[in-house]
Amino acid sequence: MQKTADIVIIGGGISGVTIGYFLMKHGAKNVVILERDYLAAGATGRCGAGIRQQWGAEMNCVLSKFSCEFFENAADELGYRSDIEFHQGGYMMLVSSQKELEQTKKNIALQNSLGINSKLLNLDEAKEIVPILDTSSLLAATFYNKDGHLNPFHTTQAFAEAFRRLGGMIYTDTNVTSITVENGLVTGVGTNGGHIATNTVVNAAGGYAQQIAEMANVELPLYSERHNILVTEPVAPILDPMIMSFSLNLYCQQVPHGSFIMGRTCADQPRDLRITPDSEFPREMAKTITKIMPRLANLRMLRQWAGLYNMSPDHHPIYDETPVKGFYVAAGYSGHGFMMGPATGQIMAELILGLTPTLPWQRLGLSRFEKGDLIHEPSVV
Amino acid sequence: MLSRTGIPSADDLAGVFPSEERLKAGAVAVIECFERIPCNPCATSCPRGAIRPFEDINDTPALDVEKCNGCALCLAKCPGLAIMIVDESWSEDRALIKIPYEFRPLPEKGDIVLALDRSGTPVATADVISVLLNKATNRVPIISIAIDKSLIKTVRNICPAPPPPTEDASIVCRCSDLDMNDIRELMEQGYTSVDEMKRVARLGMGPCQGRNCVPIVLGELARYLNKPVADLSPGAFRPVVKAIKLGELAKSAKGNE
Repeated sequence: MQKTADIVIIGGGISGVTIGYFLMKHGAKNVVILERDYLAAGATGRCGAGIRQQWGAEMNCVLSKFSCEFFENAADELGYRSDIEFHQGGYMMLVSSQKELEQTKKNIALQNSLGINSKLLNLDEAKEIVPILDTSSLLAATFYNKDGHLNPFHTTQAFAEAFRRLGGMIYTDTNVTSITVENGLVTGVGTNGGHIATNTVVNAAGGYAQQIAEMANVELPLYSERHNILVTEPVAPILDPMIMSFSLNLYCQQVPHGSFIMGRTCADQPRDLRITPDSEFPREMAKTITKIMPRLANLRMLRQWAGLYNMSPDHHPIYDETPVKGFYVAAGYSGHGFMMGPATGQIMAELILGLTPTLPWQRLGLSRFEKGDLIHEPSVV
Repeated sequence: MLSRTGIPSADDLAGVFPSEERLKAGAVAVIECFERIPCNPCATSCPRGAIRPFEDINDTPALDVEKCNGCALCLAKCPGLAIMIVDESWSEDRALIKIPYEFRPLPEKGDIVLALDRSGTPVATADVISVLLNKATNRVPIISIAIDKSLIKTVRNICPAPPPPTEDASIVCRCSDLDMNDIRELMEQGYTSVDEMKRVARLGMGPCQGRNCVPIVLGELARYLNKPVADLSPGAFRPVVKAIKLGELAKSAKGNE
């Protein structure tokens, strides 16, 4: 293992590889990514993989629009030998109550003002896009055709390979064991493969970001919570968009390969980094999904798993330099880290290299929690 | 050890191996039958009365090594494949051992095979001297192999030597349509664990949940990485054990029972 690096990124998930890629793209040199397992082994490889721009907070709209547009051109920009399986079948958000309808109208007005051309659908229009939808309990739906989903593992590989081509170095199966700090300045990272001296460290450890921060005696207002997903056997394509409902508490997509992937937020999930799956979850999930798409009752579930949402107090990410000089954090995506990947990469490159900001990341620093300047997002599962 | 793993220890073997003197004198049976079970074909098949007649059918065999001439009739009759014949006098430096072998394909005379110890670990190579399979052997193939004399208490089985890797379009993962060429290509690309192959190529993610492909891939990975299979991870096994319809799951949810 090399003895020194200009920048060390901790974490080989989507955030680590996008940060690495954008840093190299903007001229950084001698950048290293450390991953304790294999690339995308953590939350990235476990996520629901949706890409949406229909949010209720302007911040999320702006970050996700940047990311989605990046993904649209990713094949050319990253030159990946395989396919990242970006499927822009749209997101359909279901509306079940009057209150939800009012919020939805506000969201659409905000989204349209930012160039996200989502629209409100009546139930006939919704059924035309998703014929298997049972609309009897719904009032309306929204739809944006540029939303969609992609393959998290291939996307991570695509960034990782582009990062390597630009000269970046990735060490997998490498556990970070310590972070050395002298006089308030970060000076290196200890691993099971050796010590790397560096004055810049980026904490992109996803669900384990708090643990990494503690190694430098930095406390972050984050916790990690288990979230569950299940996948079914593959069948012929019958669901084009990602379906999402806040009041029913679910999201569901059919991946290009034919499997349905679905998830929801369950109550009383452990926050101790456990990712053994919850046995109650498949029943609740099946109950909800078969209510709005009854035909799925005949579909067989093959597998369930869980991953960590790294939660911040306002469900928005934290991009900042910590009180330890040279020790940066990019974490706290609260379930949206994968879709925000390109924005994370761009923002951290601007932050670390001192570039002119092109995205509004100044509001996403740690000081917002002291100042009480939180960013409210009404539309999350 | 024996009762937990089925692998006899050196002490267990000391109780059933003939003396060094008797081994040097020529062919003799070694009967590794440690468990009292109702089974006696070895005793009834011996034409020389070398295996003492049982008083109780649950007896374990007691061999009179002076009467035994290593004819191998008992070997062919033992349903537990517990008997082998050792002939230390076979040549200057090598011993001949005869073992029952019920796997297919059978080796052929002249083959070089891997000699395995009692845990199944390869310990040497062995020459196949003869392959006997007829009515007289009770349709049990009896393989004679020549091994170094120092290994007569170690070697207990054989395994065909692995063929050199070649183009191989054998299907490995039926659910996700991957053949051996695909697996080797993935390894060349640097995906050297079952979990990575799952994520990049959907290995083992179909209805069988890896029950068929994962053991095959582990064998191939072991060869490629030159590591024992025991050191490789079979990947994460996830619930459910058997595919189940969402409709059935929904019925068992709270409020729906």
